Amino acid sequence: MMVWVLLAVCLPLLPVVLALHPALQRWQWRLLPLVSLPALGLVLLGPAQWQLGLPGLLLGANWQLDALRQPFLLLTALLWSFAGLYATGYVKRCRRSFALFWGLTLCGNLGLVLAADLVSFYAFFALMTFAGYGLVVHERTSAAFRAGRVYLVMAVLGEMALLAGLLLAAGTANSLLLADLSVAIAESPRADLIMVFLLVGFGVKAGLLLLHLWLPLAHPVAPTPASAVLSGAMIKAGLLGWLLTLPLGQTSQLVTGTVLVLIGMLASLGGALIGVCQRQSKAVLAYSSISQMGLMTLMLGVALAVPERTVWLLPVIGTFALHHALAKGALFLSVGIRMPNHRLARWLYWGVIAVPGLSLAGLPLTSGAHTKLAMKQALQVDGLVWSLAPWLGNLLTAGAMATLLLVLRFLWLQVRNTNRNESGPCMQMGWGLVLMASLLFPWFAPELPAAITTTLADHVTYWMALIWPMLVALFMAGMVVAIRLRAPEVPAGDLVVLLEDSVKKARGRSRVSVSIRIGGKRVEWLQKALVCRVQPAETGLRVHIAGSVLILALLFFLL
Amino acid sequence: MMQQALIPVFALLCSMLAAAIIFTLPEERQRLRTVINLLAALIKVALVGVMTWGVLNERDYGLSYEILPGVSFVLQADALAMMFAGLSAVLWLLTTIYAVGYLEGSPNRSRFFGFFSLCVASTMGIALAGNLFTFFLFYEMLTLSTYPLVVHRGTDKALRAGRNYIMYTLSGGAALLLGIIWLQGLVGDISFQETGQLKDVDENLHLPLMLVFGLLVAGLGVKAALFPLHGWLPQAMVAPAPVSALLHAVAVVKAGAFGIVRVVYDLYGIEFATLLGVLEPLGWLAAFTIVYGSVRALSQSDLKRRLAYSTVSQVSYIVLGAAVFGPVGTVGGLVHLLHQGIMKITLFFCAGNYAETLGIHKVQELNGAGRRMPLTSAAFTLAAFGMIGAPPLAGFVTKWTLGSGALNVGMEWVVAVLLISSMLNAAYFLPVIHRLWFLSEYEWSYQRRWGRLETHSWLLWPPLVTASLTLLAGLFAVLPFSPLSWAELIAAREYLP
Repeated sequence: MMVWVLLAVCLPLLPVVLALHPALQRWQWRLLPLVSLPALGLVLLGPAQWQLGLPGLLLGANWQLDALRQPFLLLTALLWSFAGLYATGYVKRCRRSFALFWGLTLCGNLGLVLAADLVSFYAFFALMTFAGYGLVVHERTSAAFRAGRVYLVMAVLGEMALLAGLLLAAGTANSLLLADLSVAIAESPRADLIMVFLLVGFGVKAGLLLLHLWLPLAHPVAPTPASAVLSGAMIKAGLLGWLLTLPLGQTSQLVTGTVLVLIGMLASLGGALIGVCQRQSKAVLAYSSISQMGLMTLMLGVALAVPERTVWLLPVIGTFALHHALAKGALFLSVGIRMPNHRLARWLYWGVIAVPGLSLAGLPLTSGAHTKLAMKQALQVDGLVWSLAPWLGNLLTAGAMATLLLVLRFLWLQVRNTNRNESGPCMQMGWGLVLMASLLFPWFAPELPAAITTTLADHVTYWMALIWPMLVALFMAGMVVAIRLRAPEVPAGDLVVLLEDSVKKARGRSRVSVSIRIGGKRVEWLQKALVCRVQPAETGLRVHIAGSVLILALLFFLL
Repeated sequence: MMQQALIPVFALLCSMLAAAIIFTLPEERQRLRTVINLLAALIKVALVGVMTWGVLNERDYGLSYEILPGVSFVLQADALAMMFAGLSAVLWLLTTIYAVGYLEGSPNRSRFFGFFSLCVASTMGIALAGNLFTFFLFYEMLTLSTYPLVVHRGTDKALRAGRNYIMYTLSGGAALLLGIIWLQGLVGDISFQETGQLKDVDENLHLPLMLVFGLLVAGLGVKAALFPLHGWLPQAMVAPAPVSALLHAVAVVKAGAFGIVRVVYDLYGIEFATLLGVLEPLGWLAAFTIVYGSVRALSQSDLKRRLAYSTVSQVSYIVLGAAVFGPVGTVGGLVHLLHQGIMKITLFFCAGNYAETLGIHKVQELNGAGRRMPLTSAAFTLAAFGMIGAPPLAGFVTKWTLGSGALNVGMEWVVAVLLISSMLNAAYFLPVIHRLWFLSEYEWSYQRRWGRLETHSWLLWPPLVTASLTLLAGLFAVLPFSPLSWAELIAAREYLP
């Protein structure tokens, strides 16, 4: 067991090892799709529950698999394996660098799912974050570097918040095990502070509203398989972090929970709203991810506010994460698939591309309907402030509409701008496998609490409730096309652009004011204090300090 | 047992002897010089290893010799001494290898290696010193033996930096001496001892003792580059790379930091120092230095200068750890004594490799160097991430223990300082790493090639070894003999009743 687990987590480091010797470097690329197979084997064939203590590692490591981690491990292993296969056909340049960062990021992602102690969790999380930068900037274009910069700045901020949260949490829990944190945080007098740190720290990864800025920039510029894992698997790492650390199922955190519910609502609708105004298909998908993560944030908020619902909501969140990872992965990967020439094949092609999108919107008999039904039942709660509870159901309906609009926007952009490059067998196979996994989802979906019924028969029974929002969305899209309404253009990364502009303006303004008040000493001084004054001050310090220390010392002595 | 008392003396003598032989060797006897250097370094590692094992098993290695009535020369090996001695022995070996490769074919190597050995002998003396007087002897010897190394190149800039360095350190030494004499006058000749020696002094001695503490810290703070006494350090980076590496990682700044740790724990005793209330100002000073050094590092375009300011910032972690009361905080500070050493020496080795191989001195010249020198750059990347404090590297262990130690005793501001510092570290190291790996190659003015390897093999191995140590120290932090477990051992002995 131990060997298997270690192999599953460490084999992704193979490209790093192979990079050490020139003779082995050509294997880096060839072995790329194989590195995630042990993990896939572990989750498909291995036991569903285990614990592994590695007392010599880090500050005493502990890894485990349980019902909560199972869907996350499954989605990570599936998506990375198939996207890896896809990548071998997709990536043409800088392959060795790609393989290196792919392996490192994968190792981080797999490890954090299995980690049961705080230090190894944080270590794997950081590895994934920093190695992920290599995937984002892979194309080495200026757009990629800009996205990378935003990614990195936000990631560092996130890591710092996370470190603060984990330090505080570990201090109160007096333990390094993740399982001990939630009780300790719930009882801590600083619970709110810790929760804010953790929410922000993981929120950067999970695309929490206002912390999502890097997502729509990074996804379009990253190579397609990398966007698929970024949006499918890595974004879920933030979610898993929340599930593992926040005080779920303890005392009710009404305020935090309600705020999260509101943020989730806003993200699920606002993300879609900005998403339909995008000009790039991958940016549309990125906003769709933000919107979907909003729904998961919402469920998390409900679970925090209404602790007795936690046992229902946790499995539903896991199911949702798995469903979204596969469907979104399939959508992302389809971007690089070539449109066939034959007319009939073309119809089939569009149909197949559209299915995961429709699944996201909740088409009956798909994974989407499965999750939507489960969510609807799990979210029938009371106990939220401002009588938010009854609105949750309506929100889901509105969310389905918004999702379908996004999917239609994506298809629209794809049709006009479809890929005409050759897509090799590896790519088609990788895409096909993710698609297949997404379609077969209801048959291997994680087990839900007995009270929630989502059999295929239910899909049929509730087909009307599932279908009508989609029909409305279709009608709206049709109207938009008919009256030739053009969406206003919102740049990808929305607020980032504003931030960048204001920084530029602030810089420009300070320059202007200096040139206007060139004689004004105050402005000049302020400028220089930051840039130039420190240097001479330090020099002066250097010249005088030795003497002053001596004099001080003498004075002291005389005293 | 007589042999036991002699081991510390041998450890001291072996590099002094090496220095004496090397000074007399003619310049062209390169091979013999290298052999003597390496032999001495290996013997020293072995001796330190033996002592470390003995200290773990509570054996006593002590030697005392009264020079004047009331003034004695004391050598002793305790857990804290072994930490510093071990660091200097191991890193001396690596730096010697590196220096031999680095200075190949350059003039005045006899002088260089002679003083180099003397410098390490004094570091060893500082580690093993059993009282303040002995400490001071070696502390000044270190000052004098590093000066020729700093000005080795003989350029105007180097001479200026050297003058500066000597001015700073000598006046620091003077302050230290005054402190020592004053203390001697107050309480007589006392040796370092775990849990401190001054707890039982008379109440009305408290004020003078506080002033003495200030003097001692001012004297030691010069070498530890505490603000505002840090001015010499960024200038001294004109020295050759192995010297900077040693200066920043082991010899000089560490001697200062180690001295402060000694004074706090083994002279005053942590509990007494807390009682006096001197630790809090020290902590604030260290915290300010941490942030200040990082902010200054941000705006440096010269790679070695950037690293130098980073040292200013990082060494103060050790002082900060000493200022946090409580065993966990102590561990955090002590463990950084080793961690900062291995990480910073890696960075300076790498900077030297870039300079020697591609003529790189400025940060923007690093563009694309990762493709040309992958192993060096990998080592640099590891060490830089360690400095930022990314897990599972050595720097993370420091940050984590220091942070939790501070939280244990309710000093939340320490965590804030740690976070700000890490963020600033990321801000000045990540762009460098980005340049190394992701930008297209800079047009380097000259490129030297050494066969199949990216650089001279003697230059390549030392940073690779220290970078691996950085990884291992974090990855296996709980195993015996890791920096963390050794620091825990020391802390356990410092806090025993």
